[in-house]
Amino acid sequence: MADGELPGTRVSEVTAHLTECWFCRARKQEIESAALDFIRAHRANLDPLLPPPAGGRALLKARLAQAVASGERPRLWPSIRAWAYSGAGLLLILAGASLLNRWRIVPEWMTGMHPVPVSFPEPSLTPGAVATVNKDQICATARPKNRAVPASLRRRVFEEYGIPAAEPRAYEVDYLITPALGGADDIRNLWPQSSTSAVWNAQVKDALEDRLHELVCEGDLDLPTAQREIASDWIAAYKKYFRTDRPVSFAR
Amino acid sequence: MFEDELVAGVTPFGIPAEAEPSPLEQEVAGLFDRFQDPLLRYLLSLGLTAADAEEIVQEVFLALFQHLRRGKSRRNLRAWVFQVAHNLGLKQRNRFRRDRLAFAEPGEIPIENRLVDETPNPEARMAGSQRQEQLLAVVRALPEQDRRCLSLRAEGLTYREIAHVLGISLGGVSQSLGRSLARLARADKG
Repeated sequence: MADGELPGTRVSEVTAHLTECWFCRARKQEIESAALDFIRAHRANLDPLLPPPAGGRALLKARLAQAVASGERPRLWPSIRAWAYSGAGLLLILAGASLLNRWRIVPEWMTGMHPVPVSFPEPSLTPGAVATVNKDQICATARPKNRAVPASLRRRVFEEYGIPAAEPRAYEVDYLITPALGGADDIRNLWPQSSTSAVWNAQVKDALEDRLHELVCEGDLDLPTAQREIASDWIAAYKKYFRTDRPVSFAR
Repeated sequence: MFEDELVAGVTPFGIPAEAEPSPLEQEVAGLFDRFQDPLLRYLLSLGLTAADAEEIVQEVFLALFQHLRRGKSRRNLRAWVFQVAHNLGLKQRNRFRRDRLAFAEPGEIPIENRLVDETPNPEARMAGSQRQEQLLAVVRALPEQDRRCLSLRAEGLTYREIAHVLGISLGGVSQSLGRSLARLARADKG
């Protein structure tokens, strides 16, 4: 009779039989009771292993946004060919990073510049600064829009980082701690993030900020921890909260 | 607030405003909220680790998003997500099993039999009722297909949905569940 799968005539027959047969009624009750007990045991056994729902939701949200942006499906388990392409890409990136590192170790007296940042802010220049640690204030709106950084302050950021003549389109002056997480409008919280970085770029950091904002507002992460982690090493924070060693888009 | 003036024509930088999720993204997120826990429990019952189960659930909903975006059938999405999760779960389990084959210890519990063997909190388990332990022991002893039917039923799937997910006949589901429930009921007496 389960799920209405039995034809109507058979249902009438079974019901009539159950009315008359005490043993069958008791047996039916016994089986239903066993089913209920099993469901309880099943849940009691597995529910402690379930992760908090907010983390998965935030991760899916970021991946859906990426899928929409790219028009493609971000695969978690790439095919062998995709792995081969990723490997080749990684080698190219490593080679590029190696060249960059060589460039970065050129003494300052020769260039008159600080090293040009690629994916990491310079902690002495951009330690991060917060305006609030009040969670309610942070979570009052879904995701506060960032204020535009004035051109004069942007120039100061470039000067501090030793790239006064930087091509504006090559850098996004980014908040280290986003205002959506209580970050301050302060030069100590701003750094020139390369727009051309292929892996750990501004879009990847945006996804992390979304995730942290959601985790904080869902009560799964306290705000000072989120601020500290994104300020001290945002890439490590990304790896931790997205449970991946590379940006999700890179895993495609 | 910044005191300096903004320069006209300069594109605002910093973090761009978040784009509003599309109705389809919202719909998929809603379905994720509804089915996340049942799917995770089912995948765990197949013997997958929590991390693998989470990754598979993500993959399922990305696939669902693409499925709906292409305008494909919306008929019985619950059965659809469970079927995709089941297939991905078995694929991952086979991959894991292949990788582990050469390194398995003698007497190691096969992954599909780990249904109830990884509870992280032994104290909670000790406190659990003896009846529950007894029932879970009965389930562990069932054939794998019967365990799958039972787990799917425990997650609220109908007989027809279970048949669809596992690719077996409706009669096969009925027989499997009948057999398993009879054993569970007998465990009560034993």
